[in-house]
Amino acid sequence: MRVVPALVVIAALGVPVARIPRPNPTGQRPPLTPHDSALHVLNRLAYGPRPGEVDRVAGSGVMKWIDAQLQPDRIPDPEVERRESSFPILGKDPGDLARAITVVRRQRFGTRQNGQDVGPPGRPLLLPADSQAALHVRQTMGQLQQLAVMRAAISERQLREVMVDFWTNHFNVFFGKGADRAFTPSYIERTIRPRAMGRFEDLLVATAKSPAMLFYLDNWQSVAKGAEPPAVARMARLDDARAEQMLARMPQGLNENYARELMELHTLGVDGGYTQQDVIEVARIFTGWSIERPQQGGEFRFNDWAHDYGEKTVRGVDFPGGHGMDEGLRLLKLLAEDPATMHHVSRQLCARFVSDDPPDGCVDDAVAAWRRTDGDIAEVLRAIFVSPDFWSPQAVRAKVKTPLEYIVSAVRAVGGDPDTTPRLAQVIGRLGEPLYAQPSPAGYPESQEEWVNSGALLLRMNMAVALAAGRLPGVTIALDSLVPTTEDAAALIEAADVRLLGGILTPHSDDVLRHEVANVPDPVAARALVIGLALGGPEFQRR
Amino acid sequence: MAISRRVFVKSGGLALFSLGLDPLFLARAAFIPYRLLPSPTVSDQPVLVCLFMRGAVDGLNVIVPHGDPFYYRERPRIAVPASDVVDLDGYFGLHPALKALKPLWDNKSLAAVHAVGSPDATRSHFDAQDYMETGTPGSKATPDGWLNRYCQHDAEHADTPFRAVAFGPELPRILAGSAPSLAIDDLQAFGLRIPQPAARDKLTRAFEALYEGAETGLLATSGRESFEAVRRLQQANPLQYQPDHGASYPRGRIGHALLQIAQLIKSNVGLRVAFLDATGWDTHVNQGASEGQLAARLQELGGSLAAFATDLGERMRSVVVLTMSEFGRTVRENGNSGTDHGHATAMLALGGPVLGGRVLGKWPTLDPAARYDGRDLAVTTDFRDLFGEMLARHLGATDLSAVFPGYSVREDHFPGVISS
Repeated sequence: MRVVPALVVIAALGVPVARIPRPNPTGQRPPLTPHDSALHVLNRLAYGPRPGEVDRVAGSGVMKWIDAQLQPDRIPDPEVERRESSFPILGKDPGDLARAITVVRRQRFGTRQNGQDVGPPGRPLLLPADSQAALHVRQTMGQLQQLAVMRAAISERQLREVMVDFWTNHFNVFFGKGADRAFTPSYIERTIRPRAMGRFEDLLVATAKSPAMLFYLDNWQSVAKGAEPPAVARMARLDDARAEQMLARMPQGLNENYARELMELHTLGVDGGYTQQDVIEVARIFTGWSIERPQQGGEFRFNDWAHDYGEKTVRGVDFPGGHGMDEGLRLLKLLAEDPATMHHVSRQLCARFVSDDPPDGCVDDAVAAWRRTDGDIAEVLRAIFVSPDFWSPQAVRAKVKTPLEYIVSAVRAVGGDPDTTPRLAQVIGRLGEPLYAQPSPAGYPESQEEWVNSGALLLRMNMAVALAAGRLPGVTIALDSLVPTTEDAAALIEAADVRLLGGILTPHSDDVLRHEVANVPDPVAARALVIGLALGGPEFQRR
Repeated sequence: MAISRRVFVKSGGLALFSLGLDPLFLARAAFIPYRLLPSPTVSDQPVLVCLFMRGAVDGLNVIVPHGDPFYYRERPRIAVPASDVVDLDGYFGLHPALKALKPLWDNKSLAAVHAVGSPDATRSHFDAQDYMETGTPGSKATPDGWLNRYCQHDAEHADTPFRAVAFGPELPRILAGSAPSLAIDDLQAFGLRIPQPAARDKLTRAFEALYEGAETGLLATSGRESFEAVRRLQQANPLQYQPDHGASYPRGRIGHALLQIAQLIKSNVGLRVAFLDATGWDTHVNQGASEGQLAARLQELGGSLAAFATDLGERMRSVVVLTMSEFGRTVRENGNSGTDHGHATAMLALGGPVLGGRVLGKWPTLDPAARYDGRDLAVTTDFRDLFGEMLARHLGATDLSAVFPGYSVREDHFPGVISS
């Protein structure tokens, strides 16, 4: 390759030369330029910049962009809306899905599903991998996952998509568990998405009432000691023995699962101050919070007959007897307003937006905003985004991308176009983050220790090389208008770095890339090599 | 040379990779004295395989105390009937879904430790798993896992990137720490997947050069480890692996991981500590008895462990598999034909060095007066004594106080799984 003076070529390409400043010998980093600030917010509030986006945001004002992102409903998003029409799952409700799954299961197993029961005792909750129903499940799951990936890659309302991912992990449900196959799509669409940047308490209550959560954490079957369903009571008037049989098949006691995770994960945090006894009392409060005919994809229903109307005490607070569903709402309000909750959730938000082990400053700022606005998530976020900790040099590029963040940011960086098949979502699954498929109520982890290991890095490098060569499943790219091919190695690398990566390559990486393309005569191959190496390299793993 | 367009290899199998030692690599690698070729003496090195059953497995339905009357009294719907239990010693028996393990019990390579667990009272999965992986029950401040701390003190065997390997997409807590460990999801996919060896080699070195320049930290370290591991694995040539002695692993994650562990052991790359985990043990609802949810999981577990032992054959003489779980489940079944979070559980030890054919530990009985919190099987063996025995007697560790800080691991508290 001929070496042409780099600056001449770059001027010809009309590409502004802007690179992340490297630390000077004392280790201090200079303050952030508009370019770096724009890159930083696009890496944190969004899934990374698209070509030209850093300059656009820097040009129109970073704080203005943040402000707009905090009001997502005011941002037009026609491209996402257009693509959503290709996802049939959006037109289905839980009833439709449940019916489809039941039909297929009956065809396969020839058994009848009793609407009230979980099924015959001992029936596994997960279907065998090779059944027709499992195929349908996979297709539904694939669509749901791809919908999330498409939105993350394409939406103009980036912060909202980031928050949907955050809450999906915070209020995790597992798609693979029984009736959750039917409930998860509407859980995402109707419970999480509309409330991702509203009031925390509203979101908390919505998840508590969602069939998805009630099923996932078993609360729908939690009943007070000695409770008798109406159907059994009616039968008892006619035939005692049969009533006994019916009763034997029904759920017969308290289930602590939801009560525990509500406090440990959703609100107070594991050190937020509650005992095993509190867990039991909370479980008693939530008896009756159930689902109408869950195997048919039914809605929330409060089963009066199942509720424990006795008096309770939770963390020293009295809950007088005689209260029904309202005491659950009262408890949720108390939990949402508890300082431990504010701190726990704020800290998690700061871990997502600032750094894995966030400084107290931004957490305190978030908590203060929470208090002041009664838990308005958008305002809590605003406080984080203006906090000095968010803008400190220590925070810039401090986070390592999760598989979802990595693949989506790579697709965005090259201006990639995801299709509507589940293949791109499957790539993300292969990297270790199959969406909605996390069995643990804690959701997917946030910190780099959990994601960075040799095997994962090699997989990422594979994906990067494939993407740059136009061979990553589920996405097409068109690089000619972004980084034209050229014989000039230095210009090629500079263009790729500045136009696609935001100028993050170090001089060392520059040297390596120059060395690598030196013997590559084919300009198209050279471009794919440069971009593949850059996307798979260490700088792009960070955000 | 142009990059091949077919960069994805669909089916497994690494192409042969020539041993082209790059002189630059030798210079760069001077900071870690890796041996370049496997030494013949590694072929019999002891290996400890830890299998974490996440979700708190119901030890009482794994090693069934069919001789204890309370077992049947408290579990009308989910107790394993005495006629179905695979009897072990007249009092305990195996869940029938684990019958594949009975021959290993009979030939004295399988032992169970019952009523083992954590002194900490938590019933939170995440806390309890954390405590069992960090080896410091009650303390959340421990940054590394006990297996990693063992590796930190095992300088003698630090000269291979494969000394500690976890099978799965993420590195588990138990192996987190300053000693390098690998997380491998799929051995055959480990490395860059480009059909032409020369092109793959060139690209691998390019990435390696990029990661050499990364800012210090986890990314840089993991990057360097990746390439060293790729190199050594390709030297060992794990092409188209077939299990030996007719071993047939059941389909599923456990079998797949154990097959790969067996493969790595036989490749003599210096594997000393391996880890895998399995989920699906959190049987709150509809646990089942002889058949059902738990039985299905146990079937996969038993079949996979038996296949592993068959596959390794003679090599099992220095391999031990240890199962573990963060706690057990309630003695009494709950209102949903399941069990809730309990306390002590049962752990299995399998391998040549195991003094098998025995249920070890001190059985407290299921008598209500003997239960923990009045509801759970009591812990009579601290898990650190069991894990400590593995490290000391099987792997030859000498400084257990560093591995389990704040706890004095005493030889006279070892359950007696491994001969001294």
